[in-house]
Amino acid sequence: MSTPQAAFAWFRAWGRAALFAAAAAAAALSLSAYTARTRTLAMRQIYFNAWHVLPGFTVFMALLSWVVIQITISLARDYGLAQFALELVFRAVVLELIPLLTAFYVALRSGAAIATEVAMMRVSGELDELLSAHIDPYEREFVPRIAATAVSVFALTIVSCTVVMFVAYLVTYGANPSGFAEFSRTVARVFGPYALTGLAVKCLAFGAVVAVIPIAAGLDATREPESAPDAVMGGMVRLFVTLALIELISLAVKYV
Amino acid sequence: MEQEGFTPIPKNLQFRVGLLLGLTFMVAAGFILYALYARGVFEATQRLTLVSDNAEGVSLGMDLSFSGFPIGRVVRISLADDGRARIEVEVPRKDARWLRVTSIFTLERGIVGGARIRAFSGNLQDPPLPDGAERPVLRGDTQEEIPRMVATLRSTLENIEQLTGPGGSLQQSLGNLRTATERVGGRHGALGAVLGNDEDAKKVVAAIERANALLASMSGVVAKTDQRVLGPGGVVEGTQRAVDQANVILNELRESLKRVDKILADAQSVSGNAKAATQDLAALRAEVDASLRKVTGLIDEINRKWPFQRDSEIRLP
Repeated sequence: MSTPQAAFAWFRAWGRAALFAAAAAAAALSLSAYTARTRTLAMRQIYFNAWHVLPGFTVFMALLSWVVIQITISLARDYGLAQFALELVFRAVVLELIPLLTAFYVALRSGAAIATEVAMMRVSGELDELLSAHIDPYEREFVPRIAATAVSVFALTIVSCTVVMFVAYLVTYGANPSGFAEFSRTVARVFGPYALTGLAVKCLAFGAVVAVIPIAAGLDATREPESAPDAVMGGMVRLFVTLALIELISLAVKYV
Repeated sequence: MEQEGFTPIPKNLQFRVGLLLGLTFMVAAGFILYALYARGVFEATQRLTLVSDNAEGVSLGMDLSFSGFPIGRVVRISLADDGRARIEVEVPRKDARWLRVTSIFTLERGIVGGARIRAFSGNLQDPPLPDGAERPVLRGDTQEEIPRMVATLRSTLENIEQLTGPGGSLQQSLGNLRTATERVGGRHGALGAVLGNDEDAKKVVAAIERANALLASMSGVVAKTDQRVLGPGGVVEGTQRAVDQANVILNELRESLKRVDKILADAQSVSGNAKAATQDLAALRAEVDASLRKVTGLIDEINRKWPFQRDSEIRLP
C-alpha cells in the first residue's frame, strides 16, 4: 500500500464516519426509530455497557481518584497551596480525568465489541439481507446502540464523578462535617453554569462518538472475513483520536 | 442479534436499566441543586460594588473575605465609563452584618496565588452597609512592590559593600579602634590612646610631676606666709600693737582737748588778763601742734602697716 493511497483511504474512512454520524442523527430524529424492539435493544445495550460494570468501575475510579487526590492534596500542602488543592482536584480529576477515562473504558469494552459485531454482520451478509428486506439498519440496529452507548457513558460519568467528589471530601477533610462550608464554596467556584453545561455536553459527545465511530468502522468491512480486523482496528484508532480531540477542544474552550 | 450468546439477559432488564437511569438523573439533578445551593442561589443576598483603578487578578467567583472567612463572591466585573473597574460582590444577608458603613476594602495580589479582596470593619457598632453600596477598594500589589524593593535593597547592599570593602570606612574605623586598644594596653595606657602618641603622653606625665613638685613648694610657702602674717611678731600682731599705741595717743589727745576747752572757757570768761592768757595760749598751741603731728605720724604708720585702709581722714571734734 503506497503512502498516497493510505492517506486517501484514511481521509475516506473519516469521511464515511462523518457521513454515518449524520445519517444516524437523521435516523434518530425519525419517529419510526422508536419501537418496542429498538427500546429493548437499547436497554440491553445500556445493561451491558453500564449496569453490568457499574460496581467494579465505580470502585476502580474511587481507588484511582483516591490516589491522585491524595498526591495532589499532600503536595499542595507541602508547597503551602492547600487552599487551591481542592479546586485543582475538581478541575483536573472530576471535570477532565473521570469523563475521559470513562469514555476510554466504554470505548475499549463496548466500542470494540460494537465494531466487531457490525463488521461480522457485514461479513455474514446480515446487513445486506436487511437492506434487501427494506428494513433500515440505521433505525433498527444502529440508532439504539448509539443512544444506549451515549446514555451509558453519561450515567457512568455522573455516578463516578459523584463518588469521586465524596472521595475528595474524605481525603481533604476526613469524616469531619465542618469542612462542608469550604467544600461548598469550592464547588460553587468550580461548578458554574458553564462548567456544568460543558461537562454534560462533553459526556454526551464522548458517548456518541464511542458508538458512532466503531459502527462506522464496522461498516467499512466487506464480505471478506479478513477485512474485519482491519476495519475494527482503524475504527478504534479513529475513536481514540476523536476522544482526545473532544477533550482538547473542551479544554481549549474552557481555559484558552 | 436477538440472542446474546455469552452474557445472560436478566428477566427484570427494564427495571434495572430504569433504576440506573433514574439514579443517574437523580444524582445529576441533586448535584445541580447542590451546586446552585453552594452558589447561594437559594439565600437572600445584597450587592456591594467595589470601585478600583485596576481589577487585574480579579475573577468571577472570587471570595470577599473578612477575618479570613469568605463572606461574599464576585459576580460581575465591568469597566465603568470613567475607566475604573467595577467589581460587583454578592454578600449573603446573614454575612452582611460584618460589613459596616465604615468598612474598608482592599485588593491584594500576592506572589503566589490570585488576588484577594478583603474587608476590614473597625467598629462593628457602626450602622450596617446598605444594599447596593459603592465603595472604593485600596490596592496593594506585591509584584509591583518587588522592583522597588530590589532597587532599594541593591543600593543598601552597595553601601554595605563600600563600608566593608578594603579601604572602606568600616575597615578604617576598625583599624583605628585596634590602634587605640593597643595604646590602651601600652605603657601609657588610656592616656596614650587619648593623646594619640607617646610623646604627648610623656609630656603630660612630666607636667603632672612638675605640678606635684610645685604643689609641695606651694604648701611650704603657704606655711611661711601663715607664720609671717599670723605668727608671733607677724603683720597682724604689729598692727595690733600700733592700734594700741593709737588708742593711747588718742586718749592723750582727748585730755589735751579737754584742757583746751577749759582754757578757751577761761579765755572767754577772762578778758582782763589777756596778756597772760595769750602766753598760755601760745604754749598750748605748741602742745596741740605736737599732739597733732604725733597723730599724723601714727595714722601714717597704721596706713603703712594696714594696706587695705585707704581712708586716712581723721575727724577732729
